[in-house]
Amino acid sequence: MHRLVALSFLAWLGALPSPSTAATRGHPIVPGFERFYTGEKADAAWGGQLLLTELNCVSCHKPADASLAPKQAPVLDFVATRTRIGYLRKFLRDPQGIKPGTTMPGLFSGDPARDQKVEALLHFLASTGSLRQERPSRKGVAAGRDLYQQVGCVACHGSRDATGNPDKVTATSVPLGDLKAKYSIAGLATFLEDPQHVRPAGRMPKLLAGKEAHDVANYLLQGARVYLASGKGATNYAYYEGSWDRVPDFSKLKPHATGTALGFDVSVARRHDDFALEFKGFLKVEHEAVFTFTVTSDDGSRLYVDGNLVVDNDGIHAPQARQGRARLAKGVHKIRVGFMQGGGGAELDVQIEAAGFGQQNLGDLVAVSEAALERKRPVMNDEDTLDVQPALVAKGRALFASAGCASCHQLSESNRVIASTLSTPLLSKLKGEGGCLSEAPTGLPWYSLSAAQRAALSASIKNPPPRAQTPAALLPRTLMTFNCYACHVRDKVGGAGEVLDKFFLTTQPEMGEEGRVPPPLDGVGAKLTPDYMRHLLDNGVHDRPYMYTRMPGFGVANVGHLIEAFAALDRGEAAVSVSFSDPVSRVKAQARHLSGAQALGCVKCHTFAGSKAEGVQGIDMTLMPKRLRHDWFHAYVADPQRFRPGTRMPSAFVDGKSVLPNILDGKAPTQIEAIWLYLSDPKARPPVGLYSKSIPLEPADGAIIYRNFIEGAGPRAIGVGYPEKAHLAFDANGMRVAMVWKGAFIDAARHWNDRGAGFEGPLGDDVLHLHAGVPFAILSKPEAAWPSAPAKEIGYRFRGYRLTRDDRPTFRYVLGAIEFEDVPNPIVTGKEVSLRRVLTATATKPADNLFYRAAVGNKIEEIGKGWYRVDGTWKLKVDSDMAPKVRQSGGKAELLVPVRFAGGRARIVLEYAW
Amino acid sequence: MRLFLRYLFLLAAVGACLLLLAADGQGQQKIPLKKAPPKAAEADYYKLLSFTPPPGEVLEAGALEVLPDGNVAVGTRRGEIWLIENAYADDPEKVKFRRFAHGLHEVLGLASKDGWLYVTQRPDVTRIKDSNGDGKADVFEVVTDGWEISGDYHEYAFGSRFDGHGELWITLCLTGSFTSDSKFRGWAGRVTKDGKFIPTTSGVRSPGGIGFNAEGDVFYTDNQGPWNGACGLKHLTIGGFVGHPDSFKWYREKEARYLGPAPTVPKSNSRMMIEAKKVPQLVPTAILFPYGKMGQSASGIDCDLSGGKFGPFEKQLFVGDQTHSTIMRVTLEKIRGRYQGACYPFRQGFGSGIVPVRFGKDGSLFAGGTNRGWGSRGPKPFSIERLVWTGKVPFEIHEMRLKPDGFELTFTKAVDAESASKVDSYAMKTYTYIYRAEYGSPEVDQTTPKITKVVVGQDRQSVRLYVDGLQEGHIHDLTVSGVRSEDGKPLLHPQAYYTLNYFAGK
Repeated sequence: MHRLVALSFLAWLGALPSPSTAATRGHPIVPGFERFYTGEKADAAWGGQLLLTELNCVSCHKPADASLAPKQAPVLDFVATRTRIGYLRKFLRDPQGIKPGTTMPGLFSGDPARDQKVEALLHFLASTGSLRQERPSRKGVAAGRDLYQQVGCVACHGSRDATGNPDKVTATSVPLGDLKAKYSIAGLATFLEDPQHVRPAGRMPKLLAGKEAHDVANYLLQGARVYLASGKGATNYAYYEGSWDRVPDFSKLKPHATGTALGFDVSVARRHDDFALEFKGFLKVEHEAVFTFTVTSDDGSRLYVDGNLVVDNDGIHAPQARQGRARLAKGVHKIRVGFMQGGGGAELDVQIEAAGFGQQNLGDLVAVSEAALERKRPVMNDEDTLDVQPALVAKGRALFASAGCASCHQLSESNRVIASTLSTPLLSKLKGEGGCLSEAPTGLPWYSLSAAQRAALSASIKNPPPRAQTPAALLPRTLMTFNCYACHVRDKVGGAGEVLDKFFLTTQPEMGEEGRVPPPLDGVGAKLTPDYMRHLLDNGVHDRPYMYTRMPGFGVANVGHLIEAFAALDRGEAAVSVSFSDPVSRVKAQARHLSGAQALGCVKCHTFAGSKAEGVQGIDMTLMPKRLRHDWFHAYVADPQRFRPGTRMPSAFVDGKSVLPNILDGKAPTQIEAIWLYLSDPKARPPVGLYSKSIPLEPADGAIIYRNFIEGAGPRAIGVGYPEKAHLAFDANGMRVAMVWKGAFIDAARHWNDRGAGFEGPLGDDVLHLHAGVPFAILSKPEAAWPSAPAKEIGYRFRGYRLTRDDRPTFRYVLGAIEFEDVPNPIVTGKEVSLRRVLTATATKPADNLFYRAAVGNKIEEIGKGWYRVDGTWKLKVDSDMAPKVRQSGGKAELLVPVRFAGGRARIVLEYAW
Repeated sequence: MRLFLRYLFLLAAVGACLLLLAADGQGQQKIPLKKAPPKAAEADYYKLLSFTPPPGEVLEAGALEVLPDGNVAVGTRRGEIWLIENAYADDPEKVKFRRFAHGLHEVLGLASKDGWLYVTQRPDVTRIKDSNGDGKADVFEVVTDGWEISGDYHEYAFGSRFDGHGELWITLCLTGSFTSDSKFRGWAGRVTKDGKFIPTTSGVRSPGGIGFNAEGDVFYTDNQGPWNGACGLKHLTIGGFVGHPDSFKWYREKEARYLGPAPTVPKSNSRMMIEAKKVPQLVPTAILFPYGKMGQSASGIDCDLSGGKFGPFEKQLFVGDQTHSTIMRVTLEKIRGRYQGACYPFRQGFGSGIVPVRFGKDGSLFAGGTNRGWGSRGPKPFSIERLVWTGKVPFEIHEMRLKPDGFELTFTKAVDAESASKVDSYAMKTYTYIYRAEYGSPEVDQTTPKITKVVVGQDRQSVRLYVDGLQEGHIHDLTVSGVRSEDGKPLLHPQAYYTLNYFAGK
């Protein structure tokens, strides 16, 4: 069998196209241009206008039209921490040759000094840090492959095969080049986690969260070279974010990231300002000596050897050196360097010196472990290694400003962005031919434009189209610019297209297209609230649990103008205004019933506050009032097919009348409004039937006892359901009635299906949580605080319960020699139901200073006839020999009832109305 | 591409199956054409009777007890207790089910005493009775709640019947079956007459049942998982440690201090008998149930004290298996002061996953089943059944006992001397499991000992096997396929698995 599988596996590999490695010269790929402006009938001037921003022409050639904002090129701060030197060298020499389709122009084509200039730039770029490394993860490859194929990367970049090489690529697919040559895993992962950090223009949106970014990087970079610092020259670092003016106490902080650094390399930080680093390493001393340590840092640093502070260079300051001495015996010593950065420049250099030892860079001598001290350093002498020379760095820095790099790329040194010194004509002064538009320009940026691109740019420069200012003009241009059309359709334009359509997948095939393909954008301005649209455009969302593809985040600075544009273009009808005669809590209770399994059954297909639905997993119900405009919700729920033809969402309303005419007034707007109110309540409790098989327990002839894990009453809970439809849960750990509620008793489905994991709360409504803490206590003085220890520790023992013939319990517990009984029972008065409890204490020797704590709240008011109102919301009646007292204790109001024994017994009767 | 890949694998799988079928076909042709006698069936000797609970009721059995009047009490995972009246009637129509109590929390232990029914449930031991004679329990009195629960569903409590000292034994499953996050999880303890819970044995992982042997010593079953390479039957002793060290953190509690400090944590990725030499408190698993061969989730335990009403296995133990829906047979002997012994297949085909087993007044064996949350071969969601001896004696290995130089086998019937005296009639191999913190273990350290000589006893109901290469700490997996009874029949079950922890003294 093994042989057969192996053979077919080989056959399968053979059937795949071989990974393409040969680089072929292409032209810059701008998806919107390739899709909409390469046809014969396309409006060349409009297409050219798109290129002016997307190829960043307007960075050098300033436009009069401010709406032509350039697509900012990648920010090059720390570029060497993520990108390999060897790749940069080849790429700078011939961008289009190395990465066909790139929008980066070649700057030195035909320049005889090209290689020297590139080398100088390279030394300058290499001075921004050293390549960050992390161990490849095989598990990550598999997870990354699934993510890449499923979450939406394919829509813009085309599909890739099992080894991470391009597979199905279309003319509009944004090329990725030779990623393995370009990035380290850590470098790419950091980029993917927050693409807009490096590419603020948002054309590459944020789609992956922390671990996912590492998984995708592992998938894309399979087999890429990895140098993990294994011998001397490496430390373990922990990176922290925060604002300090001294090196913080790291033992009290949680690191933002950890890893292996080359020496004391502060460029492992993820940002310029407000961070701290702790480096730890081991140093082997061959001969005992007094060593001098010199730490130069900006800002503060502290160096410890074997836990002793040797150099204190702490505080906010410009680069300054501080020294310290320590006698180190022969053997291995622990080195720890703390560093903090406020703002401005960040640097750290540590030197070690001794007689007969010379001065050396301490970073080169330390290792991550004692064992690693003995390991040989990996040889890194390939094209990615560069011995950075200060003279070349300076030359490269000057070139960066003068050659035009700085016109498009931001690179900061000491928090100052390097300004371009290249002078270029204004856009309006261009002729629209020759220059950069030549087939092979020399001494100018060479974009390697296609004929269509040259024609379009020429047309756009010669006859500039009118400014796109109206929403109707602005909207499609934005959707084109950000390639929204790769997934979405609006006004019959856009969509995934034939080749890539099959990569849009769903967990719920029964939902059909709407479960699989991102929704059309027609009418979206009338559907989503501006706040939610802002959130979604800025951060991205994954609100459709059934859909693998997610909405990525483009950054509100880039696409925020869409909110107004959509709102201006899409108008919906206003909802009918509804008023209720019932109190809001009753309306919500009825809406909760409406949403449940025994009514409209919303909950069968929609998740609720993260709890899975029975069948398809539709958008979370609790998200609706946050996402949707109130008017749209009304219109959609009344007639979903009008908005999404073919949707699985059913309608419960025919001609404005509900299929459940007896709830509220039976009219669509009333019931829909009630559901809106219910869902808008942040404390809305799940509708009935959220779990697969609802098993509601319904007391009929007598009470029902339900011992299990009950939410709000602990693991040793005893639920009691009464036929009068007022119920309680007794906490046998706390000897207390933990809560009371009305309506339905409890759903046993969670505990009586599958393994019965988790806590289940009441099924009914009007849940009143009573205070925690022991019921009775002996107080040494009247103002003594109520004991807070658990009942068992105080000495309480739960003794069980007795049942009446109709199963109503009398709970029993003891405290030392005092025995207590608690007999709860609902009382029905007309339509109202309240709960009565008779508490009895029995003791042969009466206890002095014994109190019962009847209520705890922020506010307890006496309202006459033995009644008290707690927190203005519920009422409690106390009937006892001794008058209850309201007292303030620990910032709370407490209602204490002194317990007086008569004939060895004491009795307190309570009545709860809520 | 995903689909494409799937299809290819599907094709590959189909192809492989075809190959396998072809290979089987060839194999069959090589079998000698001599016709085998009609195969004896388990049902010829032990018939299985199924009870039908009232319609709509869900009786997922977690515990069984026989009351003084002979009625059988069933404790359920839904927290009810039902009484089966007239439980021994041959006509199922005459059997009556009556609900005696409800509202308990996963009942996994029932014991009858002095008119009370002691219920071991998740949070405590509660004793219940019907004080007003209306047929329903009305007094629920907590006997002890001396352990903690956190709300983790795996924190089960299994309870025994009363031992010779009038005490109950409780085994407390670990939190999530891996760690001990609540007080005394991973312990077995006794409930004294005055209601104290005394933690007694550490090292419990995920118990499936608890019971006594004929001598009154207490055993429980534990399940394959961390520190348990396979399911096993373990002896609970005062101060003993039975395998999983996460329970050690509770030795410091005042109730457990009488036991002294916690044992040394055993080394992971070792063997149990290697660690037992370093950790004196470690009581080696008395019986290992070879995983997959005998079962996958060992559960309830009861001892045949029927005086022969259940057939020829008096004083032997019967142990359920939830996954396989079977009941296994176990014999124990004390070697060097510790229990060890053998297990044998006994009866399969129960309706659901067996959890509790209990001998009834008439010497028939009641078995309750559930497969909620854990699948079983028995397809029903729950079952209550009764296994009755038909009076016919099956030809079985009665007992496999260790000798210094091999084993002694006894049989339920006289053997045919010729076949029984052939060395070839017996095949033996050995293996053991890794003792480790990770889940389960494959069979490791396989050996094939040599059976050098076979001597049939004068009574012709026993055989001495002389074996070279007995292995300490190994299961000795014996297949007796060649031995025939006097009337020429093969064994109903030719397998026996002896867990050899200690060699027998000379």
